[in-house]
Amino acid sequence: MTAFTVQTGLFFRRKLLETLRQPVWLITGLITPLLYLALFEPLLRSLAGGPGFPAGHVLDVFVPGVMVLIAFGAGMGAGWPVIWELDSGVIERLRVTPASRLALLLGTVLRDIALFTVPGVVVIAIGTAFGYHLHWGGLLLLFLLLALLTAACSAASSALGLILRQIGSLAAVVTGVQLPLTLLAGILLPLSLGPAWLRVLGHVNPMYYAVQAARSLSGGSVANATVGVGFLVMGTATALTLWWGTRAYQRAMV
Amino acid sequence: MSASSVPPTSAPSTAVPAVQVSGLRKSFRVAGKTVEAVSGIDLTVAAGEIFGLLGPNGAGKTTTLRILTTLLPADAGEARVAGEDVRRAAALVRRRIGYVGQLGGADRGATGREDLMLTGRLYGLSAADAGRRCAELADVFDLGALLDRAVRTYSGGQRRRLEVALGIMHRPVVLFLDEPTTGLDPQNRANLWDQLRQLRDGGTTIVLTTHYLDEADQLCDRVSIVDHGRVVALGTPDELKRRYSADTVTVTPEAAPDLLEAVARELASAPGITRAVAEAGPGGQASIRLTVSDATRAMAALFDALAVRGIPTRAASVAQPTLDDVFLRETGRSLRDAGPAAAAGVAAWAGVAA
Repeated sequence: MTAFTVQTGLFFRRKLLETLRQPVWLITGLITPLLYLALFEPLLRSLAGGPGFPAGHVLDVFVPGVMVLIAFGAGMGAGWPVIWELDSGVIERLRVTPASRLALLLGTVLRDIALFTVPGVVVIAIGTAFGYHLHWGGLLLLFLLLALLTAACSAASSALGLILRQIGSLAAVVTGVQLPLTLLAGILLPLSLGPAWLRVLGHVNPMYYAVQAARSLSGGSVANATVGVGFLVMGTATALTLWWGTRAYQRAMV
Repeated sequence: MSASSVPPTSAPSTAVPAVQVSGLRKSFRVAGKTVEAVSGIDLTVAAGEIFGLLGPNGAGKTTTLRILTTLLPADAGEARVAGEDVRRAAALVRRRIGYVGQLGGADRGATGREDLMLTGRLYGLSAADAGRRCAELADVFDLGALLDRAVRTYSGGQRRRLEVALGIMHRPVVLFLDEPTTGLDPQNRANLWDQLRQLRDGGTTIVLTTHYLDEADQLCDRVSIVDHGRVVALGTPDELKRRYSADTVTVTPEAAPDLLEAVARELASAPGITRAVAEAGPGGQASIRLTVSDATRAMAALFDALAVRGIPTRAASVAQPTLDDVFLRETGRSLRDAGPAAAAGVAAWAGVAA
């Protein structure tokens, strides 16, 4: 094993322990998506079959959206602990060790992928019990695609935490981008329900492509342009945000 | 390479300075204004010494340390640590140095053992080696009972001990500490001084910043006094005190002020005395104040002069110079006074380089 993989593993373990010590986050991480399923799904049921609404079981449309929300939430939480670590000098201390800055970032990113995967599996299991149609091959690719989305959100959130350095500023930015990003991705309601200008706006949102690809994969349609574009956009976003986050770690100052 | 192939004239590795800095500069942009935190620092730290950067808050000590520990790039100048350039060979420098920052850097949620093990493994120790080193340091720093408790529950002194242990987990050649005793009670402070001396005796070079005069005086082998981003004085504490100021002898004889003035005039040219003045004290009690280069000879001359005139002495005292006298002489203000004003300056750009 190279020093880099050892370091990544060490940082992943450290972040995982940090999460396990605060079970509140784990519980909220599980309950929020289940609440979406329980409270939002009945609302959608009345829309199903209406104009603009995709065919199929309501859950087949809604579950991939909830999965994207879980991935987004798991990733965007990364920035807060980064600020505590800046304030207590942990990052400064680690920056004086020979540890790779990318490994430092990846420790958090991998932990967040785990934070997406666990509730993701639970949602799929419960959704299936209530009528969601499972397509195994598509489902595996769906998890892979959304792991990339989690990674991109996690790296971006870490970078923002390192650059903004203040809890208040980070909260303002994260909540500020959350609404347009999630709404314009058609996560809860398909954008096809909206007017043309809304659909056009959706196309400049990278998450829109993730949601489109997620719906296709969830429906078992694997080899098509939508899925390809989804992976391309998410892969690029992950690469760019990892580069950004690593750079932020290289320069981080209290 | 065999030992015989080394030319006899080559210096042993201990002769390579632990730190070599020349013309170091660093400025920050703060609220549209450029503040120069380090304005041309030169210094050399020999291997195996405890070197102190003494100065008020905002003098540029922390910024200098951050440049030396590869945390910040300098704007200009050169800095070599443990034989390597901090900019061009940052990775090598990081392997050879340890750093204990002002904030400490212990992970509050983790246990002391987790922190130490992680640090050891980041430096490439195997889990077994890191475990052994962890036990060793727990012993030295009296952390044994605390190791498996969350750092959050440690007292200030306990946490500082852990943080120093973290800094030397990998046996660095040079250890940097930024205000290591700030906030410690006198006992913990004295303990830390002992531990740092032991490290030095074991061959580690130690570079620390402090704004405590007594710390610089008692702990450091050599001190550089830093003010406004420049080194204003450099030497051993004794050298500095001797070079920049002298002992002061004050006697309060029982005699009329005009008689004392005559005595003072006579003493001004006596051996060992650089300056002699008669001063009127409170309640009309006059005294003679001597600035001396050699206290023993000065005292002899003084008591001779008084004895010849049959003047009895009521009180006499000798005051040794302090590093504050040196600071006062170099900067025109006392280190004690410099604190708050300089601190206000720092607060204005604390976000960048406090």
